[in-house]
Amino acid sequence: MKIETLKKIIENKKKHFKFSIITDLSTGETEIFEKDLPLNEKLEKYSKQINDFCESKKNGIINNSNLFVETFVRPIKIIIVGAVHIAQYLVDYAKNLNFEIHIIDPRGYFASEKRFPNVNIINKWPEEAFKELETNESTALIALTHDPKIDDPALKHALDRRFYYIGALGSKKTHSSRCDRLKEAGYSNEQIDSIHGPIGIKLGGKSASEIALSIISQLVLITNNR
Amino acid sequence: MINPFDEKILEEAYDWVQTNQKVALVTVIQTWGSSPRQTGSRMIVNEKGDFSGSISGGCVESSVVSECIELLKNDQPFKKIEFKVSNEKAWEIGLACGGEIAVFIEQIKS
Repeated sequence: MKIETLKKIIENKKKHFKFSIITDLSTGETEIFEKDLPLNEKLEKYSKQINDFCESKKNGIINNSNLFVETFVRPIKIIIVGAVHIAQYLVDYAKNLNFEIHIIDPRGYFASEKRFPNVNIINKWPEEAFKELETNESTALIALTHDPKIDDPALKHALDRRFYYIGALGSKKTHSSRCDRLKEAGYSNEQIDSIHGPIGIKLGGKSASEIALSIISQLVLITNNR
Repeated sequence: MINPFDEKILEEAYDWVQTNQKVALVTVIQTWGSSPRQTGSRMIVNEKGDFSGSISGGCVESSVVSECIELLKNDQPFKKIEFKVSNEKAWEIGLACGGEIAVFIEQIKS
């Protein structure tokens, strides 16, 4: 592989879109496939197969050919509401899992760059912050403030946009009042039940790092079972 | 299904090249049976035999490292290798789990 090709692949990965690379195993040449961009002459007759690999997010050799296709998928976007202690550990754990992380917290003293280096921190109320973020069914929300003023608008946004994972920190009692508020706001039982609350799988720990581990474990579990 | 929790091995490969190292990139291109790492898994190796990433659960890494060192020494652009349990050397370098894999080794050309 040429270093220029490697550089281009890394740049594409940073841009967070889906693309494939095609390696000719008989020549060692590598080409990059992006949707809607033309392929070179040699690969053009395989364009349908290459496109199928890319769309189905698969890796493998195209039948009766020497072409190996590898597809790079968009990383999953996690939005954390609350730049609290647990969030610092979450960011640490998520670093090796290729999640794209954004943190929302209107409280400036929490959401400082010093506490969260190299993470996109949006120092606004959720309603405003979500205007800056593209969200959809492949987005996850982790609400950590257990302050209804901050968490509730984010949870509503996540329910409206059908996030595949919604988790909210808080005791059983806190979660029960949260559910009541959402019901009053017109959300169905099914929608409310889809919220993971209290958040995380039961590991038995109480420290910030253990709670973060239980949250990230649940998120990985749900992501892999999607 | 591809693992969305993708590694940063290509980024690491680029960094290695930037520090004037010769780098071989290894990719799992086919698997049969119960191989531990899926298609698309990667490992990088330099001339000294330092490596990062993985292409099996530790079963064939050492053999692949030697192949990579040889490829870099001979300035060979690429080669394809299959590891099968039916291989005579199976007890030595084969996959203990009984799986089979094909890997593609290529030099990163700067």
